[in-house]
Amino acid sequence: MSSKQTNLLQGTLDLLILKALGPMELHGLGISRRIEQITHGTFLVKPGSLFPALHRMEEAGWLSSFWGDSENNRRAKFYRLTKAGKKQLDVETEEWTRVALAMANALKAT
Amino acid sequence: MKLWSRIRSTLHNLFQKQQVETQLDDELRSYADMVTDEKIAAGIPVPEARRTTLVELGGLEQVRQKVREGRAGAGWERLGQDVRYAIRQLRRNPGFTITVVLTLSLSIGANTAIFSIVNALMLKNLPYSHPERMGTIYTRITGTHSSDERHKINGEQWELLRDNVPSLLSAIAGSRTSGINLQSDSHAQYLHAGRISQHYLDVLAVRPLLGRNFSAAEDLINGPKTVILSYNLWRNTFNSNPNIVGQSILLKSDPYTVIGVLPQGVTTPLNADLYTAIQGSRKGEGAGTNFQVITRLRDGATWQQADAEINHAWSLRPHPYQLEDNPGGHVTFYSMPLQKGETDTLLPQALTLMLAAISILLIACANLAGLTLVRILRRTPEIATRLALGASRWQIQRQLWVENLLLAILGGIAGVATGFIALRGLLLLLPENYLPVADVHLDGRVLAFTLLLSLLTSILFGMLPVLVTRRFDLRSALASRAVGGADHLRLRQVLIIGEVALTVVLLAASGLLIRTLIHLQTLPPGFNPNGVMTARASLDDVRYHDPAAFQKMLQQSVAAMQQIPGVQHAAAGLSLPYERSMIMGGLPISDGKEAGQKVMTDETYVTPGYFETLEIPVLSGRTFTDADGPDTEQVAIVNQTFVRKFFHGENPVGRHLNKIRIVGVVQDVPMAPGIDPDAPLMGEQLVYIPASQVPPSLLAMVHVWFQPSWIVRTSGPVEGLTAQMQRALASADPNTPFSGFYSMRDLLAKTLATQRVEVALLSTMAALALLLSAIGIFALVANIVAQKTREIGIRIALGSSIRQAMTHIGSSGATATAFGIVLGLLLSAAALRAMQSVLYGINVYDAPSLLTAVAVLTAIALIATTIPTLRIARIDPAKTLREE
Repeated sequence: MSSKQTNLLQGTLDLLILKALGPMELHGLGISRRIEQITHGTFLVKPGSLFPALHRMEEAGWLSSFWGDSENNRRAKFYRLTKAGKKQLDVETEEWTRVALAMANALKAT
Repeated sequence: MKLWSRIRSTLHNLFQKQQVETQLDDELRSYADMVTDEKIAAGIPVPEARRTTLVELGGLEQVRQKVREGRAGAGWERLGQDVRYAIRQLRRNPGFTITVVLTLSLSIGANTAIFSIVNALMLKNLPYSHPERMGTIYTRITGTHSSDERHKINGEQWELLRDNVPSLLSAIAGSRTSGINLQSDSHAQYLHAGRISQHYLDVLAVRPLLGRNFSAAEDLINGPKTVILSYNLWRNTFNSNPNIVGQSILLKSDPYTVIGVLPQGVTTPLNADLYTAIQGSRKGEGAGTNFQVITRLRDGATWQQADAEINHAWSLRPHPYQLEDNPGGHVTFYSMPLQKGETDTLLPQALTLMLAAISILLIACANLAGLTLVRILRRTPEIATRLALGASRWQIQRQLWVENLLLAILGGIAGVATGFIALRGLLLLLPENYLPVADVHLDGRVLAFTLLLSLLTSILFGMLPVLVTRRFDLRSALASRAVGGADHLRLRQVLIIGEVALTVVLLAASGLLIRTLIHLQTLPPGFNPNGVMTARASLDDVRYHDPAAFQKMLQQSVAAMQQIPGVQHAAAGLSLPYERSMIMGGLPISDGKEAGQKVMTDETYVTPGYFETLEIPVLSGRTFTDADGPDTEQVAIVNQTFVRKFFHGENPVGRHLNKIRIVGVVQDVPMAPGIDPDAPLMGEQLVYIPASQVPPSLLAMVHVWFQPSWIVRTSGPVEGLTAQMQRALASADPNTPFSGFYSMRDLLAKTLATQRVEVALLSTMAALALLLSAIGIFALVANIVAQKTREIGIRIALGSSIRQAMTHIGSSGATATAFGIVLGLLLSAAALRAMQSVLYGINVYDAPSLLTAVAVLTAIALIATTIPTLRIARIDPAKTLREE
């Protein structure tokens, strides 16, 4: 499982985080678990990649954060998409779809 | 929006670092806790759960570091860290830091000061509106004697320029200000007057603060007498009287109506106290080329049009330019930007100085490169440790660059301060009104230049050490404590060779200038300059247009000076030795085999007793006496050069020049030449006429151009001599003040001002170069002594004498110096040829100058080499051997 994680493409992580958050508010672990779930365990995001990405995206204005209580009553920092983040999700989704389609076509070609 | 969010984040991260870090800490801890919770919930024992969580996390600190690196402003933070580290490093080595900053402040300061002047002369616009539309006229002559320079024009050319060149608004001025007297109720004041044509101020685009410019009628011969005051004169002498316009003031004993006052801070190229209309025409002054032109391109016109119009207009002259000594020569006229026209003659000197200043900077850089190299080698263990701990080479190099940059900026700031002081000193050194600009400032451009220079220096001296660290071998660096291989020594020697070579060139150049100055100052004077006091006054006065009044005034005042106790002789003359004098052209030789030949010569009038007062030897014939009066036969005395040039060395006494009988021949005196200037001081053909026989037609004109001097010879110092001279003059005319008193030495110094300034500046820079080279050699040898203490100990233990050890160590410095001197001499051979035009009486390859330069440098280098090797004598072999 973890061997696949090393294949995470540049830029993919941002898109996965945006997608994982969607309309939800999640803390770091929640986002990590959510990505694992929606990719059916293909991608397992380690904190060493996750947190720098979260902080970077927050600085870029795509995420906003607040402190709240987790399901187990632990204090945790939650993230949600901002307006700019939602827009970014659309942009990146479209971009990715285009690339994925092109790649699929390229690989199908003989 | 995005940029703003980034800036906000950057500021937030940088200035609320504590809070940001705490929050990150909390976030990571809560993450770890939640993962641990999950594991515990899954049935893993608590300690095991904690441990595996941390392992999976990959280390809290590593995650934290990664977040930090990705943060906005991380680059800034790293830079801040590097700067803080650099400051710590520099503070830990105060000796090094102070040496570097001092070296930089001196070298950058020298450059800043010189560049300020270059900037003021060449780069800064003239302080007038649209300076790019202002010009002057150059004359290009091709043929056997080609030349290309600014010429003055005559009245005919002026009228054609004014009336037939519609593309230009043209104006003329007298080439220099003249001295005139302003009488007020209580006293008379000596002022500098500029004489300008109608549109002069329009060409400069200067509007008077009060009143108006000269009108066409006022600029015509015998037009109404009017005057425009400078702001300072209006404020100081007329107490800023707001009703001054229309009032009459007494100038040259004649009422002049004030028609205008110039605004504050506004100057003209003449920089005069007041301005009168020049009333230029083809007659009188305008019969010769005595007018200086300035022009302004009119809207819509081009310089090409203007040049074509000028050449066409001046080709209309019935008697165009006579090229007597240049048959077949072709003359063209063209416009030149006024800025260039005003500064052309100073350009070579300024550029030479700039080159010298840049040499200083290069020498300083070589020194600093050597110093920083040693410092890096000394820090080998530290750098090796940092590399071993995982720092990248780029991180190490970035750190070094930051240190160099910091040093350069400190040096730059110190350099600006030094430059400011140096510039003030330099301007004090220059004679008044020497530079054709109002003031020299350290403006934005100069500061930008200094900043650029600082950056450049940091790159120049920082490059070498950084290159060295790139070839850093980690294993050997960690293994051995010994630093500095043989190739580094050779590198430093190359640096020393370079700086010594440049120093040789600078020393030789300043040596040549010093020898030139000595040559000029010790020219055989041809008279006795000691014990002579001179005083100048303006006779540009309507009363002295009458020859009888003029002669009576001279006789009475000279006689009164003769009465001063202690005065042996007194006399007066239009111009003195060391000074410029009036030039007369087209005087025919009346008889003998040279009959009909026309001569161009300097001319001056003197009173009887002039030759006796100055003790100018009479070689043949007689001097003037009181018997030579206005109604007796016209007589003249000529000097040796005149005899040599026009009479082939034959005694001319009894011959006639322009129907005037030559009655004597006197020895040459050095003068500031005007006809064929080969040197700033030389003997030129000169005709003396008695003051009593000055043609009345000339009397008014010569006193516009020249202010005569009174001279007295005393046997010893006379108490209150100048006051008594002033009283003596007042007894003949109470309304004529002396403008100043000068010894003959003062007059000599004034004429050689340019040479003195050149010598002072270049010598200062050569001394600076010498000092820097000495420091460089000293540092090299001292460093080798420090590094090789152990080796020296072994040598001495093995029986080497201290003297041998000293020679062995010192030889590296001596060899580098020797090579440097040879290279420097080769460079000099090429570079000094450019100095030909400023050398007089000596050759470019002047053996004494070069030998002195080499000797001085050798002596200094020996001292710089020897002092550090003296430490060898104190090395205790037993102790150094035990140390390992």
